[in-house]
Amino acid sequence: MTIAPQSATAALAPIRGSEPVDPVYRQIRDLVYKVSGIYKAEEKLYLLANGCARRMKEMGARTPREYWNHLAALSGRDGELRQLLNEITIGETSLFRSQPQLDALRKVILPEIVADKTRQSAKRLRLWSAGCSTGEESYTLAMSMLEESDRLLKGWTVEIVATDLNDHSVEAAKAGIYGDYALRTTADYFKRKYFSAVEERKLQVRPEVKKLITFSRLNLQDDSRMLGMKNMDLIFCCNVLIYFDGASKSKVVHHFFSNLNCGGYFFLGTSESLMKLNDEFHLVHFPGSLAYWKPSLSSGKL
Amino acid sequence: MTASFTATIRERVQRIETMPAIPAVFLPLLKMLSSSTEEVRIDEVVRLVSYDNAIAAQCLRVAGSPLFGLARSPNSVKGAVISLGLRRVETILLTCCLGQAFPAEKWALDPYVFWGHSLGCAMVCRKFSEKLTAVDGEKAYMAGLLHDLGFMVNCLVFSREFAGAMERACQEEIPLYEAEGATMGFTHCETGQALAEKWKLADDIIEVVSCHHVIGQSQKAQPLVAMVHLSDLLCRMRGLGYGYYERRKIDLMSDPAWSILLKESRDLEGVDLARFTFELDEALGEIQALVSTVFGASPTRR
Repeated sequence: MTIAPQSATAALAPIRGSEPVDPVYRQIRDLVYKVSGIYKAEEKLYLLANGCARRMKEMGARTPREYWNHLAALSGRDGELRQLLNEITIGETSLFRSQPQLDALRKVILPEIVADKTRQSAKRLRLWSAGCSTGEESYTLAMSMLEESDRLLKGWTVEIVATDLNDHSVEAAKAGIYGDYALRTTADYFKRKYFSAVEERKLQVRPEVKKLITFSRLNLQDDSRMLGMKNMDLIFCCNVLIYFDGASKSKVVHHFFSNLNCGGYFFLGTSESLMKLNDEFHLVHFPGSLAYWKPSLSSGKL
Repeated sequence: MTASFTATIRERVQRIETMPAIPAVFLPLLKMLSSSTEEVRIDEVVRLVSYDNAIAAQCLRVAGSPLFGLARSPNSVKGAVISLGLRRVETILLTCCLGQAFPAEKWALDPYVFWGHSLGCAMVCRKFSEKLTAVDGEKAYMAGLLHDLGFMVNCLVFSREFAGAMERACQEEIPLYEAEGATMGFTHCETGQALAEKWKLADDIIEVVSCHHVIGQSQKAQPLVAMVHLSDLLCRMRGLGYGYYERRKIDLMSDPAWSILLKESRDLEGVDLARFTFELDEALGEIQALVSTVFGASPTRR
């Protein structure tokens, strides 16, 4: 057994938000962004540093610089960078995670799409949670839609398609049972209205929410399946594309663009970007959130 | 707007001169900024600031804040000029003066929110200017800082009417500019223009103040006005707006202002707007720190 020198122990101690971080983490941040499109802002750099610290411990790197050298030398997605991406995106999922995104959805996007589709007499809305993991995002969307069922979406049919590559995740998603951590950003109002207690400190999503969603296994790189996912109004794909290389990512994003109806929106994770990968989508801003928009025919921007 | 109405605005704006709160150094400072050469100004700035101990102390406090990244706080105004450069000290000074000129208790618009927006806009303008050789960075900063001068006039001179516009904007979640037009019949662009002309600000800054919502009316300083227009929109979408939810979608790259800037520099085509946005988010903390330093209290404690 080797004993780590003092400086290495200090380098591995968790860093708090108020402490200055080693400048090498900015290099790591830039590499992570270049490869994955995930951007860790300056005030969140300590989270990146803590993710790195866990990986450094795992692989025996003694300093952030040594870890950087290793990352930079082997920056392929199947190597250390993938492990690091896992570290920095883990635990990010919870129900009602991004309030600005949900505000944009209910206050701006839905009224716009509803007005557009009402003109076409098509009272049907299709949403896709691509890479739905254990279902947190899909149920959040379903509950948000149900909240509008007596107002904007009165008389509408809403269908949510939720897919993931991992069978276990899909099964967990179907069960819809969540503990405190996944529910940490869920208001009591929603907990009371859409959940039932199943076991100690666990809540299960009620059947009326579940019936809006169809969960299934899907590989985003399976072109023939992707071609079948047509007529979507909204697609959510958070922290999934980060694992794809440039060419695969570009292809998947093009599929998403084709699968969206004109006037539809594509959402990534809150600190994730398509960078300059696709010039068909328009990057649009809402208060506190970003989305990629496929211009409607009436906007004259297609 | 009718000529007599414009005359009324001008007449009421004249009264601002009698406000006791305007620091004596403010107007000479503005005059100097638009006329003197840089060599003359170093001594002039030091001389002007030494008239007013409160302003000098505040200026040094801001110069020493983490925002400007100095290892040690400067202990004299001349020291600040040497470490930060004349133009930065001038903008700090101007911020401090404007902060004192319009005391907080008079405002229908929260001064922390207002200054957060103005400083945010100033920073984004400076960042945009790095992509455009046609616009000087410090001029861009100044334009961003001063573009909403008219809100200060409205708070002071038209406080009752403006409070009504503010209330309407918050209730209907519409842009404040639109609410002003609908309730008051004029906007901060006209009142700001009247004050900017009275203070004899540079012509391009006057255009920024009067045309940043109607860029088509700009004649002499289109790139600068376009830059402020976009920075203003971006700040309002990223938590540096006027303190309420604006129910809207912004497509910056389809805005006519973007085309104006593209004509100045094709480099803008390569800008990763998502990353640009994330980087603005990083500056949020710094901006709040600067506003707190200028006003002496943390916005969160108010």
